[in-house]
Amino acid sequence: MSIFLRKNFTRLIVLAVLAALFVAAAGGMESSDFVITLLRGLSVGSLTFLVASGFSLIFGLLDVLNLAHGTLFMIGAYIGWTVYVRPDTFVDLLTPLFLIFSGFMLGDVWAVIGTRGLFAGGMKRILPWAGMLVSALILVGVLRSYPVSIWNPEDYAQSPVSISYLAGLGQNLLPPPAAFESISPLLAFAGLLLGSLLLAFSLALFAAGKQGLVSRLNWCSFAGFGAFLLAGILFFVFNDALTNFLASLNTNWLFLIAVSVAVATGVGLGALMETTLIRPLYIRPIYQLMLTLGLSAIGIEMVRAIWGRPEFTMPRPAFFAGTGEGCPATSLADWWQYHCSTMILLDGRIRIYNEIFVPIIGLTVLIGVWILLQRSRLGMVIRAGVQDREMVEALGINVRRVFTLVFALGVGLAALGGVLAAPSIGLSNMMGESFLLNALIALAIGGLTSYPGAALGSLLVGLLQQFIIKYGQIGIPIPFADIIFKPTPPIVPASTILLMVVVLLILPNGLLGKKE
Amino acid sequence: MAKNRFFPTLKSNGGMLVTLAVFILLPFIVGLFDGASPAQVWINGSGQSKFIQGLAIEIFILALYALSYDLIFGFTGLLSFGHSMFFAVGAYGTGILLKNFGFSLPATFGVIFLAGILQALLFGMVLPRVKGITFALVTLGMASVFHVLVISSELGPYTGSDVGLQGVVPPEFISPASQRLRLYFVTLAVLILVFMLYKRFVNSPTGRVCTAIRENEGRALMLGYNTFYFKLAALALSSLTAALAGMLHTIYQPIVSPNVAGLGYTVTALLIILIGGVGTLNGALVGAVVFRLLDYGLRRYIGESASFINGAVYVAIVLFLPFGIVGTWRLKSAQVKQGWERLAKLFGSR
Repeated sequence: MSIFLRKNFTRLIVLAVLAALFVAAAGGMESSDFVITLLRGLSVGSLTFLVASGFSLIFGLLDVLNLAHGTLFMIGAYIGWTVYVRPDTFVDLLTPLFLIFSGFMLGDVWAVIGTRGLFAGGMKRILPWAGMLVSALILVGVLRSYPVSIWNPEDYAQSPVSISYLAGLGQNLLPPPAAFESISPLLAFAGLLLGSLLLAFSLALFAAGKQGLVSRLNWCSFAGFGAFLLAGILFFVFNDALTNFLASLNTNWLFLIAVSVAVATGVGLGALMETTLIRPLYIRPIYQLMLTLGLSAIGIEMVRAIWGRPEFTMPRPAFFAGTGEGCPATSLADWWQYHCSTMILLDGRIRIYNEIFVPIIGLTVLIGVWILLQRSRLGMVIRAGVQDREMVEALGINVRRVFTLVFALGVGLAALGGVLAAPSIGLSNMMGESFLLNALIALAIGGLTSYPGAALGSLLVGLLQQFIIKYGQIGIPIPFADIIFKPTPPIVPASTILLMVVVLLILPNGLLGKKE
Repeated sequence: MAKNRFFPTLKSNGGMLVTLAVFILLPFIVGLFDGASPAQVWINGSGQSKFIQGLAIEIFILALYALSYDLIFGFTGLLSFGHSMFFAVGAYGTGILLKNFGFSLPATFGVIFLAGILQALLFGMVLPRVKGITFALVTLGMASVFHVLVISSELGPYTGSDVGLQGVVPPEFISPASQRLRLYFVTLAVLILVFMLYKRFVNSPTGRVCTAIRENEGRALMLGYNTFYFKLAALALSSLTAALAGMLHTIYQPIVSPNVAGLGYTVTALLIILIGGVGTLNGALVGAVVFRLLDYGLRRYIGESASFINGAVYVAIVLFLPFGIVGTWRLKSAQVKQGWERLAKLFGSR
């Protein structure tokens, strides 16, 4: 015990000072204000934690500072909005997506063909590039005329802003489904399939040319190909039925579907990013910064092009949106009965979704990932990899696959954070960057590669921000002087950064980080 | 004797001299294309040449700024996210001293010089405690505090808060409106001088130790070098250069936007040296040219969604020019040379 005390002396003092500050801050305001501020801090902290935990896992294991993490958080939010508010667009997009990915299920077959040496030297070099070019041309050509019923950010009546507004009023009328006009469906499918096969083939040729591996033919891949193809066609055949089903679905279920689709998109994007772009850069880590910055710029621009620049909100699911009889609720049981959007707690009015639901999800994810890290074989490998990557590799574990999994998991967590944030703080082009900066600060405070540190840091960042905002409204009386100090908005981000600097100067590894 | 040394020097610096000549002649050549005689360009007649001079001045300032970042990041291996503060202190300090206090330019320069050293000491204060990414975050914190100061409304009369610093009247003899050609040459001269100084510094014993710190700090310590002083020296030089770049920025730009104090401006420096090649002085110059022209061209011909293409170009550079433009070229040029030599040997032996 005394050894523990002596070893963690500074750390304990810092924690004690932080706790004392918290008590002092709590003492300065009324209890209703305090409860609201505390819950808001928890909410912001949870969202920050969802970004920070993925970032920390990726940084700890892969040593990649993923500066595109905030953008992926934002993309998760926008994807979730699309599924939730415009299920018709989502269903329309499923068919081309499945068809494009079907070709990649045949990866083994392409690898075998590529390594059989069917093509001579010069041909082998040109062929992948030519294949990629042709497939890109085919895909772009087909996708341009492929009918997808979509909004139009240029036209205010059809922009996401007004669609969201109407959806919030419960008047979400989906436009008539888009029909094939300039292209026949059969031709479109054939084009998509051809493009996909060609793209997968040329990518496999790249790999085969580089590694010279001879793979054995695996017949399972044909089954995967067939399944994707069948799924794509089924989605096309039952397009209208599925759209109507989703549109008439209870918003709670729809929200659940939106969350899972956003997480799945995040996981997919993460896996894709790691395998294609990050993987070649492990030998020159500093260029990962540039790559992720570039990707982040691309992501933001794409979001702007598709969803437009103005901010909008995502309507809350029915479970958290009741306003009529019995509202605002006075207790949780009341809320359960009437599904109110707000609740009275200690004379203060809190929003159930923002201030109760989001922190609960944050806590669930914290515990879930904690169990995954501590109690599963994958978690064991991850923890070992954070300690010493080469050693794990030497033990014969395929660290590359674990890298991909962790990257996908991290991005999935960020996307989950995004879709949860959408109904509470709204969607904007800039939400990614601000959350990334918050997450970075939280991680620095808690300890860059420490998972509980990410949670503690996020909590501190969220609480500090909300307390400063609250004190901006009520003011801090300065002792021995008649001045009431009111923190201005620019101080909110600066305060968290200042906390980070102070903590880092006292404890260079963060509050819970281990000494290297 | 003098002749003996003159020609080899000329030969080994051929590329640099040619570049210099091109930049000296650039305003006049552009003027000729535009139909303005060199005499007209000389007396600062308005036209295409004046515009190109302005663009070039911006590139020179960016190059100075990128050079200073390359020194601490590329050569000494200190990743700092607070570098924009060095630049912004120069920019805002110059503007405030000229505008609110009526200092003369040399006096301003003196104050900025002192401020530059003070900043380096401030960053140096945290050097022994934090390393690697933690240092980057702490410097980010310091720069953010400065950024908040700059945009705070209390200091509005001095800094212009979030509108930006404006109304600075630069001294008449290098005014960007009436004497732009002179300003062009002054900026070019400053860039060349700093570049030569940097080249000397990097190749000096001190610079070598800095490179050793980047490669392996523990070993440099073990060899008996007090790495702290070397890092501090690099920081001081870098801070002075960045402050100088900021000073020129204020003289050239009518409005100093508070963005120059933000994280985004540090990222600009990082991007420039990543484009050019980390740890190469030429790379900072090439990177600045590419960065500014790319940004300008895309904004002009594509418009709002320019940063999409910008991002795509960054990704492409990372994938196809693995060590930046200059870095990759150096790597490949050795290979090409080796190939030629092998070929020559093959024919020679026969």
